[in-house]
Amino acid sequence: MMDFRLGEKELALREGIRKFAEAELPPNFVRSTLVDGEFRDFEFEVSMSRKLAQRGWLVMGWPEKYGGCGASLFEQTVYEMEIAYWGIPGAWMGISGIQWVGPCLMMFGTEEQRQKYLPLIASGEEDGIWCTGYSEPNAGSDFANIRTRAVKEGDDYIINGQKVWTSAAHRARWCWLAVRTDPNVAKKHHGISIFIVDMRSPGVTVNPILNYYGRHHFNEVFFDNVRVPASNLVGEENKGWYYLMQSLAFERRSIAPTAHGSLRWILGELAKYAGQTEYEGQPLSQNPVIRAKLADLAIDLEVLKMFAFQLSWRISQGQIPVYESSRNKVMGDELMKRGAVTGAEILGVYSQVDPDSEWAEISGAIQGAYLGFPGQSIAAGTAEIERNIIAQFRLGLPKSY
Amino acid sequence: MDFSFTEEQDMLRISARDFLAKECPKAKVREMDKDEKGYDPQMWRSMAELGWMGLVFPEEYGGMAAGFMDLVILMEEMGRNILPGPFFSTIALCALPLIEFGSSEQKARFLPQIARGEAIWTFALAELSGRYRASEVKLRVALEGTNHVLRGCKLFVSDAHVADHILVVGRTGEGERPEDGITLFIADSRTPNVKVEAIPTIGGDSQFKVSFDGVAVAEDSILGKTGRGWDIVNFILQRAAVLKCAEMSGACQAVLDMTSSYAKERIQFDRPIGSFQAIQHKLADMLIDVEAVQYLLHQAAWGISVGSPSPWQISAAKAKANEAYQRICIEAVAAHGAIAYTMDHDIGLYYRRVKEAQFAAGDTELHKEVMAVGLGL
Repeated sequence: MMDFRLGEKELALREGIRKFAEAELPPNFVRSTLVDGEFRDFEFEVSMSRKLAQRGWLVMGWPEKYGGCGASLFEQTVYEMEIAYWGIPGAWMGISGIQWVGPCLMMFGTEEQRQKYLPLIASGEEDGIWCTGYSEPNAGSDFANIRTRAVKEGDDYIINGQKVWTSAAHRARWCWLAVRTDPNVAKKHHGISIFIVDMRSPGVTVNPILNYYGRHHFNEVFFDNVRVPASNLVGEENKGWYYLMQSLAFERRSIAPTAHGSLRWILGELAKYAGQTEYEGQPLSQNPVIRAKLADLAIDLEVLKMFAFQLSWRISQGQIPVYESSRNKVMGDELMKRGAVTGAEILGVYSQVDPDSEWAEISGAIQGAYLGFPGQSIAAGTAEIERNIIAQFRLGLPKSY
Repeated sequence: MDFSFTEEQDMLRISARDFLAKECPKAKVREMDKDEKGYDPQMWRSMAELGWMGLVFPEEYGGMAAGFMDLVILMEEMGRNILPGPFFSTIALCALPLIEFGSSEQKARFLPQIARGEAIWTFALAELSGRYRASEVKLRVALEGTNHVLRGCKLFVSDAHVADHILVVGRTGEGERPEDGITLFIADSRTPNVKVEAIPTIGGDSQFKVSFDGVAVAEDSILGKTGRGWDIVNFILQRAAVLKCAEMSGACQAVLDMTSSYAKERIQFDRPIGSFQAIQHKLADMLIDVEAVQYLLHQAAWGISVGSPSPWQISAAKAKANEAYQRICIEAVAAHGAIAYTMDHDIGLYYRRVKEAQFAAGDTELHKEVMAVGLGL
């Protein structure tokens, strides 16, 4: 029977995270509106990861034997919303490990792989940081077009090729790598496999790619005769596409809660700013255009919240969501964009100021949102790919590409 | 947290859908567009026999004592199919406040009639500005002997031509706030000095100007307390906003279903137009709108059903529905092309009904203002 209340556990968790944020974040802390991966202040972020791990929050949804505490998906959703609301860094440790490597290893990995890697991720230590090798120069939205090759040689595989847009590769200890193991297949989705690669292996080269605002988030990663033991193959050889789709579903699931948290904070700050800023003899908040714009954001934020919880509910019912993650991603991206655009309309010229300047308003968050949203909306599937998924798998329209 | 309906609710939905598909095909909807009454009295009686009128009434007044969510489900199906007639006016706008604020005499007198399908009601709030603000309530009320005498005019009153009773919002005094001094009267629409004139609209629904030229109403026909009527108006607008939203949600789903079926069948350039991404992305956006309305509706309705209505959630739902229903209909016509622009196509039935729905129980501006206040602005 329908019930939209949060449970006591979720409410207590929300309160716990608020206290944690107040105690642990320095007073002049500049939040990142991006899901991290940049590691602007690496030491600080890892120290926060460790603290989150000590509280049992970092991988709260995992079973206890792998370092989690078996939290429900609703608790996890609330956790992600609150982490993003307070802008607590370090919670994702470069995203990959916590968000999809761990959950995928639990589904498809060997017990040996789980024993080795899951506790590392759960510890919040540097050795638990992962990157993900998916995109290649000729495999963006057409992901199945990957050409990085793994060839079996005795008990090992030899990997050659190049990955690009690899977030956090410069900090990662491990790579969750998609490669082609069989080039002679009728459909290019077949013949793909996933390997766990030690980033310290000989033959791995990481080059930074600076994004358009000069930050080092992405990398290109070259694999030159990198030798990987066969025990690092995940699941079955040539069945990788299935695991990849599952990993993307895990990745997309958390987009709505995190976008919701970030935007709820931005909306609150914008409302405060509008109330405190005088213009033409009255607070900006009395301007009907600004009232309507903020109301618009608030309405769609409610939508995003319901979408996030509805997806959690579907999964908690044991159902496999088909299109909901794509729906949530489109909505979350759209709202991040609107937050950046509306925020700039309200802050005016101050929206362009760097976060650490004395002229910055609301900690430069609108600048950060404006710079960040286009990148975020490409990651894990572009808006166009997500809409294709909705059209094909929810509405039953013919495949269009 | 739980998004599911009960088995009984699923059954209610299915039986409502079946009934409407059988009894109210689109040919009937078109017929009612031109019909003088605007509804089919025989269908109205059948609906009463199914228990739809008294669905949420207490049993002692001939009702089924079902919950608010059940009414929402019923109205989603009415919206999906398009059911012409005074159900919304009678039940959402009048019966619900009667149950909540009526004296025991009023309830005993009026509710069983409504439940049996023997009485039609409507609600008269808007005046010249056409907007639902307390400051716009100007209809004068004078005490003459033991009677209250109403003088003034109400606009966009739905189904007034077939209504037996009209719940009229009048000004009985002035106070510090415009909300003070407002009183609700139950007026018998058959009394002399009530004049009903049609306002022709695009929706095929029935809206009217109702003039009260010295209409006497007895003391026992006041609903609630004298001077405190705005609280009741708020009660009505909140529930009516959610129930109108339910209709809109059902309609949005119907329009999406029709458009997505058409996209699979219509061949151009030797393939279904639904294989083109330009059409797919339109439809994907329509689906997101449909589900946005649906979940905001269910959240708001759930709040009411457990006795804690949230103005924030209600206004979020209605404001979203106002914009989404219009957007979905516009995109649906665009995806269909010229065929949807014809009298014979069903999309137009929905397209034309967008306007009535947008303004019923609060336009977008009103509901966004509730959100702005909720944000502390």
